[in-house]
Amino acid sequence: MSYRIGIDVGGTFTDFFMWSKEEGVSTHKTLSTPDDPSVGVLEGLRQLAEAKGVNLPEFASRVTAIVHGTTVTTNATLTRKGARTGLLTTDGVRDALEMRRGIREQQYNNRFLNAVPLVPRRRRKPVKGRLDCEGKEIEPLCTDGVRVAVEAFQRDGVEAVAICFMNAFANSTHEQQAASIVREMMPDTYLSVSTEVLPTIRFYNRISTTVLNSYVGPILNRYLESLSARLSEAGFRGVLLIMQSNGGVALPDITRSRPVATLLSGPAGGPSAAVAYTRPHGDEDCILVDMGGTSFDASLVRSGAAAMTHECELDRLRVAVPMLDIATIGAGGGSIGWIDEGGLLRMGPQSAGAKPGPACYGRGGELPTCTDANVVLGYLDPNSFAGGSLRLDPDLALEAIRKHVAGPLSLSPEEAAVGMYRVINTNMAHGVREITVKRGLDPREFPLVVAGGAGALHGCMIAAEMEIPRLVVPPTASVLCATGMLMCDLRHDYVRTCVSRLKDLEPPRLLALVREMIEQGTAELEREGIALDRMAHEVVLDLRYVKQYHEVAVTVPLQAVETSNHAAVADLFHGEHNRLYGYDLGAEGAGVELINARVRSVGRVDRPTPPEIARAGQPVDRAIKGTRRAWVPEHRVYSDVPVFAGELLASGHTFEGPALVERTDTTIVVTAGFTARIDQHGSCLLTAKD
Amino acid sequence: MVDKEIDKVLVSIIGRALKAISDEMSLCMEKTTRSPILCEAKDFVTGLYDAEGRMLEQTENLPILSFSLSPVCQHIAKVFRGEIYPGDVFFHNDVFSYGNQNNDVAAFKPIFVDETLVGWSAAKGHMADIGGAVRGGYNPNATEVWQEALRIPAVKVIERGKLRRDVWNLIFANIRLPIVEEDMRAEIGACTVGERRLSALINKYGLERFEKHKQALFEASRRMMEAEIRAIPDGVYEGEGQVYFDGRTPGSKYTIRVKITVKGEQIVFDYANTDAQTTGFVNGTYTSSASATLLTFLQMVNPDIPHNHGMTEPIEIVIPEGCILNAAYPAATTFGNHLCPPNADAIMRALAPVVPARVTAGWNNLLCSLSTGRNTRKDEPYVDILFMGLKGGSGAMCDCDGYDHIGMIDASGGLLDQDYEMFEQQTPHLLLKHEFLADSAGPGKHRGGLGVETIYRMGGEGTQIVTFGDGDVEPAFGLFGGGDGTLNFIELRHPDGTTHRPTTKDIVPGVPVGTIYVQEAGGGGGYGEPRQRPVRKVLDEVRDGITSVEAARDVYGVAVHPDTLELDEQETAKLRG
Repeated sequence: MSYRIGIDVGGTFTDFFMWSKEEGVSTHKTLSTPDDPSVGVLEGLRQLAEAKGVNLPEFASRVTAIVHGTTVTTNATLTRKGARTGLLTTDGVRDALEMRRGIREQQYNNRFLNAVPLVPRRRRKPVKGRLDCEGKEIEPLCTDGVRVAVEAFQRDGVEAVAICFMNAFANSTHEQQAASIVREMMPDTYLSVSTEVLPTIRFYNRISTTVLNSYVGPILNRYLESLSARLSEAGFRGVLLIMQSNGGVALPDITRSRPVATLLSGPAGGPSAAVAYTRPHGDEDCILVDMGGTSFDASLVRSGAAAMTHECELDRLRVAVPMLDIATIGAGGGSIGWIDEGGLLRMGPQSAGAKPGPACYGRGGELPTCTDANVVLGYLDPNSFAGGSLRLDPDLALEAIRKHVAGPLSLSPEEAAVGMYRVINTNMAHGVREITVKRGLDPREFPLVVAGGAGALHGCMIAAEMEIPRLVVPPTASVLCATGMLMCDLRHDYVRTCVSRLKDLEPPRLLALVREMIEQGTAELEREGIALDRMAHEVVLDLRYVKQYHEVAVTVPLQAVETSNHAAVADLFHGEHNRLYGYDLGAEGAGVELINARVRSVGRVDRPTPPEIARAGQPVDRAIKGTRRAWVPEHRVYSDVPVFAGELLASGHTFEGPALVERTDTTIVVTAGFTARIDQHGSCLLTAKD
Repeated sequence: MVDKEIDKVLVSIIGRALKAISDEMSLCMEKTTRSPILCEAKDFVTGLYDAEGRMLEQTENLPILSFSLSPVCQHIAKVFRGEIYPGDVFFHNDVFSYGNQNNDVAAFKPIFVDETLVGWSAAKGHMADIGGAVRGGYNPNATEVWQEALRIPAVKVIERGKLRRDVWNLIFANIRLPIVEEDMRAEIGACTVGERRLSALINKYGLERFEKHKQALFEASRRMMEAEIRAIPDGVYEGEGQVYFDGRTPGSKYTIRVKITVKGEQIVFDYANTDAQTTGFVNGTYTSSASATLLTFLQMVNPDIPHNHGMTEPIEIVIPEGCILNAAYPAATTFGNHLCPPNADAIMRALAPVVPARVTAGWNNLLCSLSTGRNTRKDEPYVDILFMGLKGGSGAMCDCDGYDHIGMIDASGGLLDQDYEMFEQQTPHLLLKHEFLADSAGPGKHRGGLGVETIYRMGGEGTQIVTFGDGDVEPAFGLFGGGDGTLNFIELRHPDGTTHRPTTKDIVPGVPVGTIYVQEAGGGGGYGEPRQRPVRKVLDEVRDGITSVEAARDVYGVAVHPDTLELDEQETAKLRG
């Protein structure tokens, strides 16, 4: 008997997904412990052991692998509680980090302040020494200046150092010189060097990413040490892997040198699980929406892999490493409904959180939330919320809605709840649009996978708003990210800048860079125990038309690089440009320019396949446990709808909306416009009626 | 009036959908245009308008473009009435028919549902060249419009989907750079995206239902704006702002005078006593000046009011023809957008005594430079607008500091620095310094935003510098005891040891290689008595090197030891009394 476990630490709950060849899958949730998340992780493992009727050491010794998603680096950044960091940078440009190119995101709001920089000016130390834009030395590095700066760091109690020099992407010598002085003088201090973290052109991107890497490095290290110690103390002897923002997993040792790659570790597992549940139906592409208590995440899967972006921001700070392309909006069960000055109904982004929580929790919350609306609409059963652990009070929900929404709009509370439901669905549809329409993709071509505790209450209407005809609610919807963690390959991304027009590119130059990155990828995967035949390396080039400013990332066959087939590369670029922006200049023979070369190294792991459930032996009506008065959006009326017990539904069962399906940790609202079918894995498939 | 058939929730939904469409059009422009002023600095606006040209929603990346499309759209709808067909595209830039600036060329596309004109999609951006006597369009010697630009009154370049090649060729034969043709194609592309999305939205809800809810959306915005205006005490308030140097007469000075009348839920901005237009290019157009007024006022109200026609209904802007803010035909007007800062000064000064919690102290005015020449490393010509150098600080408010390095109020943080490494790739220059400028912020309980210092060494050959701007005579003003920010200047330090300070509207040809370019963009004005600034904040800023030990002592009354940077508490107590 052996187990693999995916563990996703969230703001409120820590989710577990456990898989064994013999026993299949099981899921579990326990409260998170924000002060030291490893405490909650261990508590959850103890509970899992208990459920198996064994003690923790015995259980832990049977666990062969734990894949862990964590928000420690995310939270350290959001709350500015990272390491005390010092920055060494080129004399004259030390403020680039704080200036953020001079942007103010809210142009009409004079009270909107700049983002607080991760390193204050007094710890941003300028040092002399200069390279030109081709990497040629104009002025040697002033090593004495580096020493003086590092002495100041020592006096100042600096815990982490970042180094980023102008034009280092073209020549890393100065950075390496400075790094060796830092290592000599502060051997125990966490150090990030820009050309190791992100050896690409664009100074602000590089300095911001490098500083973030140092800022969260010691935090991640401490956490991983604490977690590893607790796990080994508990008897765990298996492999611990960390979820990275790029949708791949890595050994803690490798993560430690690139902590910036864990900033979206938490949600990054979701897409892999989503596609595992759409694949049996022939879909390698899908949209994943995950709605929890305070936020709503939308992400995209294409050709079986999570869609990535190279230029994203966390809390207005640039992170220029490949990360999950995710749209997060303030829409969750706790989102508050309110009336703006113009008399329009709004939902969120303010949230009642877990404390005081929605009005119906009866914990002192007085403002009407999305959950309150769902109670009034009849979607949530007050007696069986969260597996019956929390009794909801419908009167409090009604009263809050009456006072704050229905009254001002001269509507009944039932009508107002309908309005709240519609507005939040529109907001979430906007989030879906962000990751599809804005990328030039038609959302109607993708199945919508619905996850998170609250997602399935809204899925049908989000889909209707976007005219998406198919939805999938996986059996482990409420812990989908933890599920996905067991389905992710090991993955590492590398990048090098190589500015040249394609026609002028000397054949060995690009190939040498690509080979160097593939060697690095091979070495890291070998350290992670991946055999050569399970490795794959993909080459991506950032290309643009000469004089354009923004690049398009184009995947090219390795063979085209090896044979220097630049014509083939240009053709691929023309095609991709046309697909994204509706035109290309291939026929005119317009010049194409290379900016960066990237390599993505993947080590394939064995993935659990979703287990099959029993085929339906009984008629579907046997699964109906009663009826409840609930709002039917398509008919614009409240009517009695059947309530199905999730555990009684079996593979092949089919029924028509309107209906409600109650599972222990989530409720599925099947509206009148949809037909539901349970598939062989226990997913609830919803299809729009014509 | 809102009738019973209005679904209030649908109003919210339509409002959100319109915003998403105009944002998507903006993204198309950003990703496909080529001129850095479009794809990097985002000097463009996209939007949707109803059949009469009234604003449905707009994404103005720079606030100075907030008012720049709707008047033109109304003009086109009127002039071409009866000759507007599905598949048409119109171009326009003419400042004497509601255009805002010669270089800002707009594309408009009518939107039809079942043969009925239901709206317009439009995009307008600052083109890299627009003909006229000087490449790029900034011509301090111009005295009439033809010396500045090719005039494009509303013309139809595509009819029923078919390119009118003669018209197209005539336009682009009069513009120097081929890049402009590419960027105008990008504008048409953005309009097409807007057209598809808006017609899909209207088809989804039906035209009649859409129209009713559109009206309700206007009403909602109008009510929000009226609530903001009601909160300002009734009365008549006056303020002035100064314009220095018209590009022709050294020492010349002009005054913008605004009289603001607030009565109930209406506000009127009247510029009746503003000085007459200049003989040069330092003149505004009605549209650019009204945009300046609107954007300044929008910063004083709830930033969440949806930008549609209803928002502007309670606001009246009166600018007599013939004054510096609304020059009469055929004046030169290219500098017009840059009259926004003194216009904003006048409005802030007028309203400061009445609504002290809504105004800011003065913002740093614009001083910009553009370098052109030949990049010998790449053997090709280059043009660079030094965005990073021009961005000074904003004015402080009653409860917060100004924003550092934000740039002039016309852009309010929408215009970004070029990335340093990209700057060195694309020009022959070497950047030596781009840092916050110590002691540049106007001191105060809340200080102004910091200015910046930019220094680079000029490379290449055939270098020419063009300057345009102001802010070298009058600094950003402080309010309620707060001090002024610092002044702007540009200086060229030649390899032979001589120096040259160009005027604020100048052309400097033949700059020698190796010249060191030095620019200071000043800070914003402070708000409130500097000695009320918390000691801890002053101390931190001394330690960060953005306030000098001397300024801390003399201006803020905070004594810091110059070597240890430790606070001298006793001395500070004495200084602060």
